[in-house]
Amino acid sequence: MRISPPKNWRLKEELYNITLGKCQECGSVFYPYQSICSSCGSSRIEKIVSRGHGKLLAYTVSYQAREGYEKAMPMPIGLIELDEGIKILAPLADAENVKEGAEVEAVLRRITADSSNGLIQYGIKFRVIDNAKYDR
Amino acid sequence: MVSIAEVSLVKVDRYYEYSEKDLVIEAYKQLETKVKERVKPDVVIVSSGYIDSIGKSNLSAVKFSNSLGFKGAKAFRVENGDNGGASIYTAYSLIKSGLAKSVLLIGIDKFSDLSSKQVNDFTATNLLYDYEYHLGLTLHSHAAILAKLYMKQYNVPYEYFANWPIKMHEYAVENPNAYLRFKADLKTVISSQLVAEPLRLFDIAARGDGASIVLLTEDSLAKKYTDTPVTLDRIAGASFDYSYELSLPSIRLAMKELDHRIDEKNIVELHDSYSIIAALELEELGLGERGKSLEQLDSFQINYSGGLKARGYIGGATAIYQLSEIVMQLRGDFKGKRAVGEKGIVVSTDDLASSSFIISLTR
Repeated sequence: MRISPPKNWRLKEELYNITLGKCQECGSVFYPYQSICSSCGSSRIEKIVSRGHGKLLAYTVSYQAREGYEKAMPMPIGLIELDEGIKILAPLADAENVKEGAEVEAVLRRITADSSNGLIQYGIKFRVIDNAKYDR
Repeated sequence: MVSIAEVSLVKVDRYYEYSEKDLVIEAYKQLETKVKERVKPDVVIVSSGYIDSIGKSNLSAVKFSNSLGFKGAKAFRVENGDNGGASIYTAYSLIKSGLAKSVLLIGIDKFSDLSSKQVNDFTATNLLYDYEYHLGLTLHSHAAILAKLYMKQYNVPYEYFANWPIKMHEYAVENPNAYLRFKADLKTVISSQLVAEPLRLFDIAARGDGASIVLLTEDSLAKKYTDTPVTLDRIAGASFDYSYELSLPSIRLAMKELDHRIDEKNIVELHDSYSIIAALELEELGLGERGKSLEQLDSFQINYSGGLKARGYIGGATAIYQLSEIVMQLRGDFKGKRAVGEKGIVVSTDDLASSSFIISLTR
């Protein structure tokens, strides 16, 4: 597992924040941010930082590791619908007794570490705020 | 018109003693014994998803072309993740346009040189967004979420998905070139190792090593090599973003472009990377009702090879195996369960079907 500092720095807006793009032409909201709309091709894109708040639509627990992520196993992973209306897949933190429909929020967590030089990879996970059904 | 003059494939297996080049040479030797005249392709195309990452080899098409004695031929690799359909599209286009009279299409991938967790890391590079890769996600986790949504949407239990591996293993028993030639019953499937809940080992394509070669030529040249060419009629394709709507837009768009209704008379090989993806593909192709397709498998001639689940899954070479198998079915020399019909369909996708190619063939 090799962590590249330049690559992580470049990805800071999607790994350490949930930075969305909102198209000023067609209104599409997308993640991660990019400077062109993948729906209509417009370059008029507003950068928005998501509240990192939403609803857990479904979740799984992954038992098969990838190299470098062994310590994260078993890894709970959720499909989250953000308040901004888009769906993303992300790991869940503190995910005991999690329920579909729960209210969740984004938190920054350690993801993995580079065994050769000690660099640490951080990223966004989601944790449950309230297991009761969340309606925006 | 574009013809398929000849095909060959090696049994999918774990070949610890063979390199990628050894497997390609084995497949080529097979092909040479079947053609009437020595092959002299204008172009050599390699279809491989992982020969650079797992095999640590770039310029693979040039290396194979030189090894097989095709010095002077144009040689290149087409990489489209696990979707080898892109290489078939390229080969077809070259001949159809008149730029080449013959193309040797080589499918090759080899998973057994690395551990599962190392391979998982390479297959995860197929995820569409950088953040997903860096957060440690896998293709399996995406498929698991789709399975969960499907179960909820159609109110089906996990056992519903077991229909797929049970049927694929039944077919693979008859195919001497299949990787997993044993029957699997419901108990075996539902008690197999949990990979990403609810997906179990039997819901996931069986990674293996293999090589398959297809010789495509312009119509007039095919008879020089064989008395029984098969025509590649049409190829359609599309790509799309992930969908969590239990539909596969890339297949839907490709079907619209193909403009052919697939039915029980057609012989079909599809890319069943996961049981859930098989279900969604069937439903998008019109080969089963939504939420019921895996209970209607006996109504259609699908994956008599055993599919990725049991014939085996060979990365970017999978589509070349599918193409070879359909050609053999249409000619009547497929060694496994025989299908009946004059039209064959290959459905090639990547593992989450973000990219699809649908190929139509006629005897």
